[in-house]
Amino acid sequence: MTSPVAERSDSNPESAIGWLPLFARLRRLPPGALIGGLILLVYLFVALTGRYWAPYGPTKTGTGPPFAPPGREHLLGTDQLGRDVFSRVVHGTDDVLLLSLTSTLIATLAGGLLGLLSGFLGGWFDELLMRLFDVMISIPLLVLALLVIAAAGPELSGNYLLLIGVIALVYTPRIARMVRAVAMDLVTRDFVTAARTRGESAWSIALRELLPNATGVLLVEFGVRAGYAPILIGSLGFLGFGARPPTPEWGLMISENRVAIVTAPVTVLAPAVALALLVIGLNSFTDGIARLLGRSAQRSP
Amino acid sequence: MLTRLLARRLLLGALTLLAISLVIFLTAEVLPGDIAARVLGRESTAEARAAFRERLNLDQPVHQRYWLWIQGVVRGDFGQALTNDREVADIIAPRLRSTLVIGGVAFALYIPVTIVLASLAAIHRDRALDGLISVLTLIGLSVPEFVSGTVLLIVFAVIFPIFPVMSLVDQAETPLEALRTLALPAITLTTIMAVYAIRMLRDNLIDVLDSEYVRMATLKGLPRLQVIFRHALPNAIVPALNVTALNLAYLIGGVVLVERVFSYPGLGSLLVDSILLRDVPVIEAVALLVSAIYVFANLFADAMAIVLNPRLRAG
Repeated sequence: MTSPVAERSDSNPESAIGWLPLFARLRRLPPGALIGGLILLVYLFVALTGRYWAPYGPTKTGTGPPFAPPGREHLLGTDQLGRDVFSRVVHGTDDVLLLSLTSTLIATLAGGLLGLLSGFLGGWFDELLMRLFDVMISIPLLVLALLVIAAAGPELSGNYLLLIGVIALVYTPRIARMVRAVAMDLVTRDFVTAARTRGESAWSIALRELLPNATGVLLVEFGVRAGYAPILIGSLGFLGFGARPPTPEWGLMISENRVAIVTAPVTVLAPAVALALLVIGLNSFTDGIARLLGRSAQRSP
Repeated sequence: MLTRLLARRLLLGALTLLAISLVIFLTAEVLPGDIAARVLGRESTAEARAAFRERLNLDQPVHQRYWLWIQGVVRGDFGQALTNDREVADIIAPRLRSTLVIGGVAFALYIPVTIVLASLAAIHRDRALDGLISVLTLIGLSVPEFVSGTVLLIVFAVIFPIFPVMSLVDQAETPLEALRTLALPAITLTTIMAVYAIRMLRDNLIDVLDSEYVRMATLKGLPRLQVIFRHALPNAIVPALNVTALNLAYLIGGVVLVERVFSYPGLGSLLVDSILLRDVPVIEAVALLVSAIYVFANLFADAMAIVLNPRLRAG
């Protein structure tokens, strides 16, 4: 995803790792990342304050005639039940941000920890965990997510904890494999040998020696996964396995308003654009950060 | 040497698939508790549930049930569907064909589209066309397939009614008509695969174009296109094969969504329907089949990479 020529000139791999140089480098963010960051700030603002200025409640029916065209009363028209589409899109923002970020954070912590331990300990722990994760990765992501949701049964469908759990579950093996590769490289370094010689415990080495050096890869992994999480949430909602009606979830809204795709295409396009813009913001921001860290933000399933 | 390596990969793939079947079986059957209550509903009588359990061999311990199931699977017998009494294999066969057709068409489009656009971007690197392709592919990466599919549907089936709104490929009478019903879903699938591959192949191509032997070819005065297609592309494409394997995962995930958008009767929509109907044997069979396609597609990409790149044979 990076053009190898443009950004490597100024990145010194030694100083690219760690926190302080990162902040010092923020001023040198590429323009794409700045635009991405601005988009994210707008989404954050809408998520935090939207409920106070959205013209209607997200589930309030009959605010106008069904499928009213966009106008002064309804900026983006109304849906089948006369709900204001603009208000629903605005109200949907906080949930998608909350779900994406929590699930990705959990997966990054779990995957990061397991990956570090696996790479450091090696042996049967590594072997067993990685074979299990390989199998989980070999099941296409969406299929695995659907399987777990199917297994959880209809009572739990639409439950936010289940959604967070499912996304964290499908992400963890992928992040762990990535981090393990980094850890395997780190354990050969002198500072790890020194820590071992000092007789430090595995936990201490994993957390105090390996983790700080894996921050960059964890950050990029978090960004890449967080960029795909809204798509996954929207896809599940669209298929009818995510949020339940009348939740103003964008994927669900797209599937609900598809009946009016001919007469009121705005009701379908509005949540679609909201979702796409969020992902564009997340991806360009991550891409920029990754370039600062001298890494490429690679997509993997 | 080569055949031994390939045979080992094949064995590994088969073992992975066996492990996947165990994960799928355990997820679908053991996690949720009482399947009988789940399928028949909470109000069902105790006798009905008992009869149901016996029919599904649910009264036997888990490992025996798995053994019975996997024995059947190896013979191509996936048992009977719960919601209608048809054989699961009979339900799946036409759906599998539909999905392979649409996936095949998408894949056939994917290769030339990727090569042409990536070469264009690499030739015009850091200029307007490269920038445009970069922005378009970034947007393509960020737009979920059910969104891009829906937008295509609005534009090319509603505003300009060139293609049908529902892709009922079974009802097409001539091959041309079948192609017309396939076009929109196939284009959607091609897009989600191509956007990432275009970016990767462009970067690889630029690396290769900077290498000395390509400069040599250029300095020798060879025509630009010949340099790109004869000298640069073959070397840039091998790393892109891994991306293609990765892309197959997107294709398979995408199929589930795209089939839904276009009401296309394939494996993906069968999976969604069977989950809604809680038809466990069908869910298991489709999930296993889809994973098998994925594992063997990956294996194929691996094998291609090994055949094309002799350095990998040492591994």
